[in-house]
Amino acid sequence: MGIARKFYSRWQNWFGLFIIIAFVLTAIFAPLLSPKHLETQEIPVQSYLRVPQPPGPGKPLGTLPDQSSVFDALVWGTRDALKFGVGVTAIVFLFGTLIGTLAAFFGGRVNKLLMWITDSFLAFPIIAGVVFFNQLNNTMLLNLLRETEFAGLPLDFIENSGVLESLSPLLSPLMKLNPAALAFILFMWMPYARVMNASVTRLKHVEFVLAAKTSGVKNFRVMSHHLIPNSLTPVLVMAAKDVGALVVLQTTFSFIGLGHPTPWAITLLSGRDWIFSPKGIVTYWWVFLPVTIALILFGIGWNLLGDGLIEAMNPRSTQD
Amino acid sequence: MSILRRFTFSILRSVLTLLLITLTLYATVMLTPPETLASLYMPRRTSPRMTEEMYQTMLDDMIDKYHLDDPFPVQYYYWARKLLEGNWGYSPNLQEDVFTGLVRRAPATLELTFYAMLIYFPLGLLSGVIAGTRKKGVADRLFRMTAFVATSLTPMILAIIMMVVFYITLRWFAPGRLGTTYALMVSAEGYKAYTGFVTIDGLLNQNPALSLDALRHLAMPALTLAFAQWAMLGRITRASIIEENEKDYIIAGRAKGLRERTLAWRYALGNAAAPVLTHSILSAASLMTNVFVVELIFNYPGLSTVGVKSLAFIPDAPSAVGFAIYSTVIVLILTTFLDFLKVVIDPRFREST
Repeated sequence: MGIARKFYSRWQNWFGLFIIIAFVLTAIFAPLLSPKHLETQEIPVQSYLRVPQPPGPGKPLGTLPDQSSVFDALVWGTRDALKFGVGVTAIVFLFGTLIGTLAAFFGGRVNKLLMWITDSFLAFPIIAGVVFFNQLNNTMLLNLLRETEFAGLPLDFIENSGVLESLSPLLSPLMKLNPAALAFILFMWMPYARVMNASVTRLKHVEFVLAAKTSGVKNFRVMSHHLIPNSLTPVLVMAAKDVGALVVLQTTFSFIGLGHPTPWAITLLSGRDWIFSPKGIVTYWWVFLPVTIALILFGIGWNLLGDGLIEAMNPRSTQD
Repeated sequence: MSILRRFTFSILRSVLTLLLITLTLYATVMLTPPETLASLYMPRRTSPRMTEEMYQTMLDDMIDKYHLDDPFPVQYYYWARKLLEGNWGYSPNLQEDVFTGLVRRAPATLELTFYAMLIYFPLGLLSGVIAGTRKKGVADRLFRMTAFVATSLTPMILAIIMMVVFYITLRWFAPGRLGTTYALMVSAEGYKAYTGFVTIDGLLNQNPALSLDALRHLAMPALTLAFAQWAMLGRITRASIIEENEKDYIIAGRAKGLRERTLAWRYALGNAAAPVLTHSILSAASLMTNVFVVELIFNYPGLSTVGVKSLAFIPDAPSAVGFAIYSTVIVLILTTFLDFLKVVIDPRFREST
């Protein structure tokens, strides 16, 4: 059975694909789905009302305590989630795959050294990396601010006041730098390197690669035309699963106050006090449920896609 | 290779790993100006009335004293020596020495990790073996279903639901580490912290009520953590049991008339343990991350406090760096232990390198 037919023959794969496509479409058409986003952000309606409002006309999923629409956060958060997930995964994927392939191709001492470095990085908890880069970023920002008249003011105040561009040219990019993304890129490539390394090492001694080498094909071409394409499957599966996992992890970190706030995490955070009251989760369901479901579906969608790919591409797997 | 040699080798490996990680960390810190580096050595906060010039001269002194303008290897050497001496810098946000702060909070984190492991390790192995031996049976389907839910329900969402159900509604469990009255008992005179684990110390101090209260606070974070880890461990166990079950020695055993239970628990699991432990070793760091996440969500005062508080108000490089190094050390101790366990359980690892 062909890979595509095998893939499409299971309903779980259809479900996963459907979820992902739905998220992608939401992200693309975000301006159409909730066009009022920018206006509502600037003019908080009835700001004296500090109670989350239930769904009603103009606010399809109700509002948060600060009267911003949950629906807006949901729709625009999809954009952020996809950008972060796909972007970071792509970089991690490229980096890890490259290291793994190079190490396996050269073999011997190089392989041992590179794989040792890979294993060493595996011992580093990612949360410490997020804290570390957050700290580094803050320190650099404050150092840059020290020479301006804004010295001593809190960072988020400066960020919101819109004077960034007039200050040091370095400030704005530093503010926008996402410490979580940086930490993920630095400490999440290892599994890719390991898996890629294992499959390339196995492939290296297979006849068609040896044939290519003996007929004088250049190293780079052997790698790019024979080794990499033939060992990509397992890492691709990992990447598919990682997109979901990274977004879930980022939202979690954002929820506990590490890294940049994402719309989904903000919704959960600002609704938290209303959920944590007697019967709060029943009364104020809209501050919790929509974002939770979105997050769970996001994780499940990519996970199902990954599982489906494994099943479909594994020649030994049988239909059950 | 004998067990002893293998063990020494494993420890040596951990030390080298730590060396590489600290080198990387310090190289990254070096991207910042020497003033930040100086804060890694800053003593207990000097008088708040210190003027700008006094501060500047102090900084210059430090930059001079600790070679902060020198090339990387020299700087790293002096910094690493400080670390080994136990001088990890002073944290203005915690208002104490980073090392003391970390050591004081470590037992709380270890207690949580210990109880979570106590729950998920046996349960994960048990459900993995049961599901694996009855592939595609009812138990297997049930396990895969639950494990799928467990992994989809991320610790964060599970934690929120737990809080709502067990704390807000039922009032069974509570966040934090101890209730107010019990927290006073711990800090009172006459209380001896033998192990640092409040649940055990309570019993040793003849105060079972204290232990009970500690358990009441531990329940939610430990269960949240265990649920996610259980699913992962169970899946790995299931996969390796299924793989073992297709091997000749199991088929031979079955032909000989051994009972299925003996086959699964005495033979298959013994050989399936190696991949399970290998996976645990590789994911030890992510276990640590999960521990910290759960700690923070449930307001449990463990090591993660150091990391998060370092981001509070004042730039605080020492505690961020200290937090990173300390948690890496814990991960390395855990992996060394698991590696040792692997060798003890599985004789195959004693012969090859």
